[in-house]
Amino acid sequence: MITQNIRMSPRRSLLRRWFEPKSIKKMAPATAVIVYGLLILWAVFVLFPLYWLLITSFKLPADVNAGPVYLPWIDFTPSLHAWRELFVFDYEDTLRAYINSIIIALLATVLCVTIGSMAAYALGRIQYKPKFATIVLFVLCLVAMAVVVGRWGVDWRLSLAVALAVFFVLARAVGRHFKATLGNGDILFWMISQRILPPIVAVIPIYMMFQSVRLLDTHIAQILAYAVVNLPIVVWLMHDFFVTIPTDLDESAQLDGATRFTTFVEIILPLAKPGLAATTLLVLILCWNEYLLSLFLSTSNAQTMPILVAAMNAGERGILWWSMAVVIIVMIFPVVLMALVLQRFISRGILLGAVKG
Amino acid sequence: MNVEERGIDTGHRAQRLSLRGLNKSFGAVHVVKDLSIDVAPGEFLVLLGPSGCGKTTGLRIIAGLETADSGQVVLGDTDVTDMLPKYRDVAMVFQSYALYPHKTVAENIDFPLKVRGVSKQERELAVRDAAAQVHMEDLLDRYPRQLSGGQRQRVALARAIVRRPSAFLMDEPLSNLDAKLRGFMRAELKRMQHQLGVTTVYVTHDQVEAMTLAHRVAIMDRGVLQQIGTPREVYDRPANLFVAGFMGSPPMNFLRGRIENNRFESQGVSLPVAPDKETMAKDVVMGFRAEDADIVKHGAGLFDATVYAAEPTGDVTLVTLVVGKESLSVKMPKDYDIDFDKAVAVHFPLDRGFLFDAHSGVRLAARLVSVS
Repeated sequence: MITQNIRMSPRRSLLRRWFEPKSIKKMAPATAVIVYGLLILWAVFVLFPLYWLLITSFKLPADVNAGPVYLPWIDFTPSLHAWRELFVFDYEDTLRAYINSIIIALLATVLCVTIGSMAAYALGRIQYKPKFATIVLFVLCLVAMAVVVGRWGVDWRLSLAVALAVFFVLARAVGRHFKATLGNGDILFWMISQRILPPIVAVIPIYMMFQSVRLLDTHIAQILAYAVVNLPIVVWLMHDFFVTIPTDLDESAQLDGATRFTTFVEIILPLAKPGLAATTLLVLILCWNEYLLSLFLSTSNAQTMPILVAAMNAGERGILWWSMAVVIIVMIFPVVLMALVLQRFISRGILLGAVKG
Repeated sequence: MNVEERGIDTGHRAQRLSLRGLNKSFGAVHVVKDLSIDVAPGEFLVLLGPSGCGKTTGLRIIAGLETADSGQVVLGDTDVTDMLPKYRDVAMVFQSYALYPHKTVAENIDFPLKVRGVSKQERELAVRDAAAQVHMEDLLDRYPRQLSGGQRQRVALARAIVRRPSAFLMDEPLSNLDAKLRGFMRAELKRMQHQLGVTTVYVTHDQVEAMTLAHRVAIMDRGVLQQIGTPREVYDRPANLFVAGFMGSPPMNFLRGRIENNRFESQGVSLPVAPDKETMAKDVVMGFRAEDADIVKHGAGLFDATVYAAEPTGDVTLVTLVVGKESLSVKMPKDYDIDFDKAVAVHFPLDRGFLFDAHSGVRLAARLVSVS
């Protein structure tokens, strides 16, 4: 039994007025000062480099070299020198890289999101139970084939045929004896683990693959490579969106007579629009900024903007800060535009009314 | 009683639906055990049971959303056991309604026809017709989120009837509605099924819905069919303790006891039983319904009891009594009033009592008799 008076007094002292909110949905004055102060600091920290880029693009080389000057018309006289250099004298190079970037990023994103969301839907709705032993057997057959080809110089087609034949003959027997299976979660993790791998590890094999099919310095090589590299992200994100959509809707559509593909296109995909928009934007930005793959897969014709920016850093004329600033500003522009367009779709509440009230 | 005798217009679409020896396990849990039911053409069959009794799984097997481990589903003359849902010609109304939120009411109702490639003019007519049947013709352009629960329910029904299926499957369609609307929709549903004459399987855990809607009720418990019959039959002649305890509100009163020397004995209760070989010295449960019993003066009834609480519900007063360690409920007239802890007695016509085997739960042929 509690004997002491434990009722709390609502009397507001000066200290309380500062540190206690007026109602539970508001911030206390002192908290507000701290929170907004930190936010303003962060905003300055983030926005200042953008401002710096913008003014640098209007500086003459002499102004850049003269040391930090901040205010146009006061510290220095703005000039279109860098803009003119890139869009009048060197416009072919700039424009080509720009168009390359747009084509490659857009097509790679479309390809990646299309394939990725279909895979994610399948992983969200169909139970896969690959036998662990069968997978091990498959890998062993491939390794054996590689050894045979590499060591004894057997023709690879013959070797592949034999390896596959061995796999199919043994697969049933192995499947009967070893019952351990993997599930959808394992498949998902396998996919995302591809993204955990540092890209630099894979880039030389990728380079050699495209070299052997003579696709180096083409759009298609970069589109394929970008799409594949970003596929795990799409599958992972879209899977998360699809599992929030009630399976009742799928089942209802199936009973109504829809095929699985119709269900996906007509029912599920429209409901996953917010997720689709967010994922598309993310992949687009990743493709737009991709540097490493482009560095290896393109030499001149198919070069993208990030390569152009990097090139400004390594010319015989030293680092061309002013040109770099111009290129970066025009690079930011389309992404901001896409973000504004897609933002409309990244809103919640689209599932409202699907189930219950 | 067959369908014709009930005066149902079966129409040309009504099909017989037969479940034969269905079994289904999820892992180690055997959710449906050897389920066999014959649903007559145009019949309204209600699958009734507590949650987890396998009734929804049974329905999903009929729909093709689950595959049975063994057994057959036959619709009309077709064995649909291994068919995809879309080839089965059944329509289902989900507990959640499962409306497509990005489609309007008209588009929702239209969807089954659209994916079947019906021509545009025919579809428009059919959608209007189905919407009119559920009184939604003025709201065709709304989205599900702009509708109330009852309206969403109607859209789900319209989407089911628009393609004239061989059978309707309904999975607790009324359970998301508030009490008042539920009563109203129940009547609508019954009338609609009567008019369309489509074979219907309806799953619910609400025995009032089962009693009011069904031509026949199939009661399930732990995956096993307990009894199937008309609502009257399962109420008046429950096959076992489970059915007796599940049907009726409040459920049937039970007193555990023993039959010795042709008398039912339990905690100070002693009632005569008709002499029968079956009932020699046996653990039994005696049951009677709350509405059959009466509260009388102490010492003047079949056995004495103490008042635990009295709850007026409006149309009746529900009195809870204590006999030994068991509690019983008795329905009394609405203006009946009694003090807590008062000593009273219970009386009911002895031929309205039931005896069940305490171990197997099966109802015994033996009856209570009045010795006079």
